[in-house]
Amino acid sequence: MKPPSLIPEKYRRLFLYTGAIVLVLSVTLYLALPIAALFFRTTPELFWASLSDPLVISALWLSLTTSAISLLVVILVGTPFAYVHSRSAYPGKVLVDTLIDLPLVLPPAVAGFALLVLYGRMGLLGQYFRMLGIPIAFTTLAVIMAQIFVASPFYLRQAKSLFEQFDRSYEHTARTLGASPLRTFLTITLPLTAGGLVSGAVMTFGRALGEFGATIMFAGNLPGVTQTMPLAVYVGMESNFNLGLTISILLVIISFLIMIAVRILTKTEVPHA
Amino acid sequence: MIIGIVINLLLVTALIAGCTSTSTAPATPSATAAPVSTPAALETAAPTLVVTTAAPAATKEAVKPTSTPKPVYTYSEGNVVAYTAASLSGVSPKLAEGFEKMYPGHKVVFNLAGTQALKTQVQNGAYCDVFISASNSYTNELTKGGYFVSGTVKPLTSNYVIVILPKDNPANIRSLSDLAKKGVKIAVADKSVPVGTATTSVIANLAKSANYGKEWNSSVYGNIVTYETSEPAVAGKVELGEVDAGFVYESTYIAGKDKFVAISVPKAINYLQTYTIGVMKDSTSKGAAADFETFMLSADGQQILEDYGFRPL
Repeated sequence: MKPPSLIPEKYRRLFLYTGAIVLVLSVTLYLALPIAALFFRTTPELFWASLSDPLVISALWLSLTTSAISLLVVILVGTPFAYVHSRSAYPGKVLVDTLIDLPLVLPPAVAGFALLVLYGRMGLLGQYFRMLGIPIAFTTLAVIMAQIFVASPFYLRQAKSLFEQFDRSYEHTARTLGASPLRTFLTITLPLTAGGLVSGAVMTFGRALGEFGATIMFAGNLPGVTQTMPLAVYVGMESNFNLGLTISILLVIISFLIMIAVRILTKTEVPHA
Repeated sequence: MIIGIVINLLLVTALIAGCTSTSTAPATPSATAAPVSTPAALETAAPTLVVTTAAPAATKEAVKPTSTPKPVYTYSEGNVVAYTAASLSGVSPKLAEGFEKMYPGHKVVFNLAGTQALKTQVQNGAYCDVFISASNSYTNELTKGGYFVSGTVKPLTSNYVIVILPKDNPANIRSLSDLAKKGVKIAVADKSVPVGTATTSVIANLAKSANYGKEWNSSVYGNIVTYETSEPAVAGKVELGEVDAGFVYESTYIAGKDKFVAISVPKAINYLQTYTIGVMKDSTSKGAAADFETFMLSADGQQILEDYGFRPL
């Protein structure tokens, strides 16, 4: 009498493994091939040559500086806000929660249009700024404001949930030892949540860097002043294909570095309650 | 074991087949609201193009060549996808209406964007039946690439450049020389947009004549705050009052007289933009496309364009 055959078991496992490989491959290729296509469409010589184009340099410089400033503002204002928001239960907290998430689902062009209608020189608030002689629309300030609007949710949501989940007993211990709330925050809470906060910051930077719709609506498109890299890609794609390609590749490389940074930083664990 | 390998091979081949097959039916557009009965004969004179048998799945009535050919179209052949320069945004609903009136049962769908964007899309495989270009150089580029059915590329209409100001004229601009005043904000289209190259020419021409000169030229360029990606975007910024002046086409001003104040540019130094229309070689509704071209070039179509400020050729 033969023992029960092992063949059905083996073939089932083979089927599953190969099916899994096919699945992983198809998802990976769908995401990776368009990126690879960018690289294959140009040559290293062309790429390095267009890197010295003044348009590329100005777009790159403008993008990096505005995104960095936007990130700084979001962190400096957003961290205390997230802390206060997570620690207290004030009336309207749910509404504020929803508002924080709003820029994530709002189409960027709508966001840009809304900013223009509010801060433009004919705008609700903008007309007062105009009287004071402060131009907002079509300036680099507008680029930063647009980036802050669309990218802040990434940091705020992350910071908010981090502070909510943070084990308060650490803070309580510090307080009983005589530390002020501020000192507790700076020396206990922040260092322990830093890993998650930094990953949120990195995502914010990436989103700010890639912002297009709100920028072109609110800040316009002027090389050196408001023409960020995504705008330069869109405009360059039609008039100077190689330029568009170079800037696209630059953005891909930066995005990759951002994602790798997020991967590494989210490995650090946050002490949970 | 063998069955397992076979099944996996089938999986992989299905995956590869799915990835590499091109879309097979760009010619079957989704049904629009009104179910269309097969249209009756054409009302106009004999069309210049013979109907090509293109739609694979639809039941087709055969083309009956008589003394005045009257092709009968099935629903799928009656739809025209027209890639159209953005400056025709305002007039497009009227054109669609007129086309359906002249050819009952036909419908036209406009894809309106800067000609430069449409050209790039077509060159990268986008499907359309008719291409209306605002720039001769882009038309020539597409012609050289073999995208048009030969003999169908015809001049359609034309447009001059004009300067528009918001209704309340916030910067108090009274003449073209005022454009160089300090603090004036000007919006123009990017040089890749047809109206953008026209604007560059116009500013250069204005600078050359005695009144304006090089300083005026550099001051004007210093006052430009944004290079928009389509002509309606420039008009939009002016309408919002966010800029003091914008360089657009005459048609935009004439169609929106209640929204703007305009300063015209003398014809002698102005740039006359010529629009062209052509039927695409890869179109699967060439008959309907030709009908659309006929309509656009007919007295009715030209009248509609003229009503909206375009200059007849």
